[in-house]
Amino acid sequence: MRRLHLIAGLLLVTVIGGAVLMSYLWLPFAPDDTSGGRLTPPGGDHWLGTDKLGRDLFSQLLVGGRIALGTALGAVTVGGLLGVLFGLLAGFASRWLDDAVAVALDILIAFPTLLLAMLIVAGFGASLGAAVLAIGLAMAAIVARLTRILVKQVLSKDFVTAARISGISWPRIVLTHVLPNIWPVVLVNLALQAGLAVLAEASLSYLGLGTPPPNASWGRMLFEAQATVLTAPVAAIAPGVALVALVIGINLTADGLRDLADPTRRRSR
Amino acid sequence: MKRAWIAVAAASALLLTACGDGGESTPTDGASAIINVGSVYEPQNLDNTAGGGQGVTEALNGNVYEGLFRLTDAGTVEPLLATAHTVSEDGLTYTFTLAQGVTFHSGKALTSADVKASIERVTAETSKSARRSNLSVISAIATPDDRTVTVTLSKPSISFVYHLSYVWIVNTAAGDLSTTADGTGPYKLGEWKRGATLSLTRNDAYWGASKAKNAGAVYHYYTDATALNNALLTNAIDVVTSEQSPDALAQFESNPLYTINEGTSTTKLLLAFNDRVAPFDKPQVRKAVSAAIDNAKLLTSIWGEYGTLIGSMVPPGDPWYEDLTSVNAYDVEAAKKLLAEGGVGGGFTFTLDTPNYDPHPTAATFIKSELAKIGVTVEINTITSDEWYTKVYQQRDFQATMQEHVNDRDVVWYGNPDFYWGYSNATVTDLVAQAEAAKTEADQAALLKQANKIIAEEAASDWLYLYPQIVVASSSLSGYPLNGRNSQFFVYDIVKS
Repeated sequence: MRRLHLIAGLLLVTVIGGAVLMSYLWLPFAPDDTSGGRLTPPGGDHWLGTDKLGRDLFSQLLVGGRIALGTALGAVTVGGLLGVLFGLLAGFASRWLDDAVAVALDILIAFPTLLLAMLIVAGFGASLGAAVLAIGLAMAAIVARLTRILVKQVLSKDFVTAARISGISWPRIVLTHVLPNIWPVVLVNLALQAGLAVLAEASLSYLGLGTPPPNASWGRMLFEAQATVLTAPVAAIAPGVALVALVIGINLTADGLRDLADPTRRRSR
Repeated sequence: MKRAWIAVAAASALLLTACGDGGESTPTDGASAIINVGSVYEPQNLDNTAGGGQGVTEALNGNVYEGLFRLTDAGTVEPLLATAHTVSEDGLTYTFTLAQGVTFHSGKALTSADVKASIERVTAETSKSARRSNLSVISAIATPDDRTVTVTLSKPSISFVYHLSYVWIVNTAAGDLSTTADGTGPYKLGEWKRGATLSLTRNDAYWGASKAKNAGAVYHYYTDATALNNALLTNAIDVVTSEQSPDALAQFESNPLYTINEGTSTTKLLLAFNDRVAPFDKPQVRKAVSAAIDNAKLLTSIWGEYGTLIGSMVPPGDPWYEDLTSVNAYDVEAAKKLLAEGGVGGGFTFTLDTPNYDPHPTAATFIKSELAKIGVTVEINTITSDEWYTKVYQQRDFQATMQEHVNDRDVVWYGNPDFYWGYSNATVTDLVAQAEAAKTEADQAALLKQANKIIAEEAASDWLYLYPQIVVASSSLSGYPLNGRNSQFFVYDIVKS
């Protein structure tokens, strides 16, 4: 049953990921080709119709997928590297430093991602990089808190004490004892966060804080389709469905991965 | 985990929907009816000399406040608080006679001192009124008696009376006019709930011959056009002052309960070049860019079958209108040639500062794809309206920008080399000055026509199109203004049957 989650999730992610990769080789129309006519209904050359400017919506959707997946990967990289690094530091730090980091992380987590993004956008201007940075930073706080707790658990284990007594250096202990014991949980968490990152980017672009036009982010497509939702519903439905499918796909994959990584749950089935 | 992605799906569904207000209609009609007006232009504050924006004009101009003259919805200037005026032979001294028995809403009688104080509010150093520079020709204001005001100008100004129609006559002793109001109009200010509504109640002690034909009006403010239209569909409002997109109109077109009106607008969408900086300091480059953009296609993209093409800053409602759409008309080959003549035949890259609200991002996207065809790369930089005001309007730190200009008779800004777009042509400046000093309106029109032709031929800006002005109202409503002239919206003649 749980395997089904993983398979369904991987299938969704693979189909979307494959379509996006294909978009680098072939697109039905160039993203800035405005020859399609205003709000042409789906059918014929334009499988999903066109937008107000006459651009092919299917091509826009594929190009938007690059931004969605790119954001997920970028934010996970930023969030994962920073989060694990700070989590390790806090886990190993002396009592007062650990407390200070914990408080700082709690504040960062309590700070809404959108507000953080607005601050960053105010500083750097609205761009995909700023959005990825904002989402990555918000993610880093969550990952760091998780890593810190996991590290503390591992450090209290007897085999770590044994390693320390036998004079093994801290970096070595991290590499051979800590990381191997925490990576499955961190990885599953990162996968879950990737789904949220896709949604966060769509929200930011919807609000005009993400990728600037003419880039076709799914959030921006939803925003643009809003005014024409009565006359051209497909323009709103298509990016909405793509967004939901990708996020559900990522979450199902994470769900399945967690079961694989957790031996106790696997045995109980 | 299941719960987590149900939440995800629900959140995405929320992105797709926009909801209207709960419908509540007022059962009364005729003189006891309250007119519910829907708009997207909420005032920033209630003072038109303190940057209240077009919302304050829409709600208060002519309704709560009156000027010495009124700019009618048709664009003519007629006497209001000044029942008569004379101009001296040299055109420098204006003598105004005030209407009799006029009182402010507070009960205070209108005197010439109030008129003097009201004009000085607009010309004051701190005033943010767009008419401040127009009225700087005033050298002295005298009040020989309570009903007479004499204004002396430093040079003749044929538009002086027109400019006075923008000046609210206020009771300056009424307190902070950015949050309260005391005018002479057919309505008193009711309650202003920020972010929601602004109400007006009929002034039963109105001095004029005809009082308001309804008991009051409530302006309902929406930030989203879909919510605005839903409010009309659910009878929460009776009329929408100006529709923001043609696609929402389909739901009203076939419905006999609603009437769609297309008036004549004065709102122009501009691609404004910074004419001071390279390469836009060269007319050939500006002409090339103008000729490379298919304005007709852009207009259709954004407004469907509504809207009008203009070839210059002058809308058809202005007395000096001339059809100049054939000047720098769409022609990609000509554009390439002009680009080479301007010394940038290989193309160039520029940043387009684009306000982040509709239709600017869509139009900027279109411009980017059009200019790519002549080798010009556009980098779209989206900014908020506040940023636009400081970066573009005040600091002039831009290469090109987009903006809508709402007023009529505003081609004269091209005669001012200090304006934000920095267009500087001595002949034009001179013609605009001569027009202002003209003896007759026919002379003024002829001179401005001449100036406008030069401005258009040099492509000082690219005038993309003239917005349509679309008012949608419940079919039971009559007497509402159609043209939204300078974003005014007089509610006093509206009758609900």
